[in-house]
Amino acid sequence: MEFLAQVGHYGLFTGRVAKRIVLGRFPFQALLRHLYTLIVRCMLPVVAVVFPFGMVIALQGLSIFSWFGAERLLASLASVAIIRELSPVLASVLVAAQGGSATAAELGAMRIKEELDATEVMGVDSISEHVAPRVLAMTLACPVLNLFGTVSGILGAFVTAVFIKDENAGVFIAQLWAFTSTGDLLASAVKTTVFGMIIGTTAAYLGFHAAGGAAGVGRAVNNTVVVSVLFFITANYFLTSALFGHIG
Amino acid sequence: MNALFTLGRFGWFCADFLRATTRRPPPIARSIEEAWRIGVRSLPILFIIACFVGTNLALQGYMAFEPLGGQHLVGMFVGLAGIRELAPIIAASMVAAKAGTEMASQVAVMRIQEEVDALEVMGVNPHWYLVTPRLLGILLVLTALTLISMVAMVGSAAAVAVYQLGLNGQHFTEMVASTMTMAEIGYGVLKSLLFGTIICLVSCYCGYYSKPGPEGVGSATNSAVVCAAVTCVMLNYLVSEMVYG
Repeated sequence: MEFLAQVGHYGLFTGRVAKRIVLGRFPFQALLRHLYTLIVRCMLPVVAVVFPFGMVIALQGLSIFSWFGAERLLASLASVAIIRELSPVLASVLVAAQGGSATAAELGAMRIKEELDATEVMGVDSISEHVAPRVLAMTLACPVLNLFGTVSGILGAFVTAVFIKDENAGVFIAQLWAFTSTGDLLASAVKTTVFGMIIGTTAAYLGFHAAGGAAGVGRAVNNTVVVSVLFFITANYFLTSALFGHIG
Repeated sequence: MNALFTLGRFGWFCADFLRATTRRPPPIARSIEEAWRIGVRSLPILFIIACFVGTNLALQGYMAFEPLGGQHLVGMFVGLAGIRELAPIIAASMVAAKAGTEMASQVAVMRIQEEVDALEVMGVNPHWYLVTPRLLGILLVLTALTLISMVAMVGSAAAVAVYQLGLNGQHFTEMVASTMTMAEIGYGVLKSLLFGTIICLVSCYCGYYSKPGPEGVGSATNSAVVCAAVTCVMLNYLVSEMVYG
């Protein structure tokens, strides 16, 4: 029962945030500032995780394809895997771990130090002042970071295949777009926008309702990562089936 | 400079921890308690996430192999990708997200409430008291978590392959079974144990040197999960290169 109440509470909170975003009732300057800090903060972790993963894909892919003598297919299959699945998911996990938890920590600390109450007392709507720009910034930053993740993942695969395993660079580049198109990039952007929305609202909800001192902030940060990853991985399966499906 | 300073301090932290652990027998009862807490708390999350990663593995494997007419290879793809790479890294990143952040925030709260200083005053080595049981707990439980996520991943992939994609179930099972050798599973588990060690040390380090106040706890927790995840994925490449390269 308590779980259902939480879900309903979260839904109401999201509705209130969405209303302010749709009506444009939030400080535009704050949106730009949050967008900038999010992208700068998350860039390094996203690149540092997706790049080695691209390298691992090339390594494992080559070891599998060499059984069939089909090493030249590596680039086309690696780009399918990276663009459609790995980069969106890994970039969003890192955005949740870095950006989402920072959002929850900021809002949680503001709640614990009663800054949010002070804002309300001054007659300023705390949701449109503090929450809406953060949620919108997360929604917009996620696809941008995903793009950087995709590029670095493919670069990682290229580095392993060409420089370490001595595959032909020309074949790699020529095969890159064999099974993928700009439609895949768009679908990957749609996916990450949805993921960003999930991360942003979860982080804002948990941070906004943090309670119980410094330990409460820690708990909110902890739950943000876990709950948002859980939600968007579940959403990922349905999005993949819907966007790339036409089978089954 | 800042990064070098942090790296050096982390090195000292690990050295202090090693010295403290080898000097005294570990607290067995508290290690088992930690193992129970880490395992039970992470299990439901890990199980659900591994299931959904498995479903997507089957979907993407099918889409990748279908244009080449290699649908029957999906089972092998799921087996290899799941057991070699994804199950260890997913188990590790979920333990980092759930148990690692919890460790960081617990230790950070103890730090800012001066409980760590109190331990030192009482003559208890804080490394031995805080880090050793957590590391033992994580190592005890991570093998089981990795094996469970392997099973969940392959099981959900099989369900998608048979019911959504209409592949032959028996053929799929045979393909998976041919890749699931003891050696592959063993390497996967060893990898996840290495990741577990890193997660525990990094998370405890971030909490141990937390800055004061609620923001300090928040940012310690935040940097714990990010540093642990980035280090694990980077090491993953090196280990894969050594084992399978």
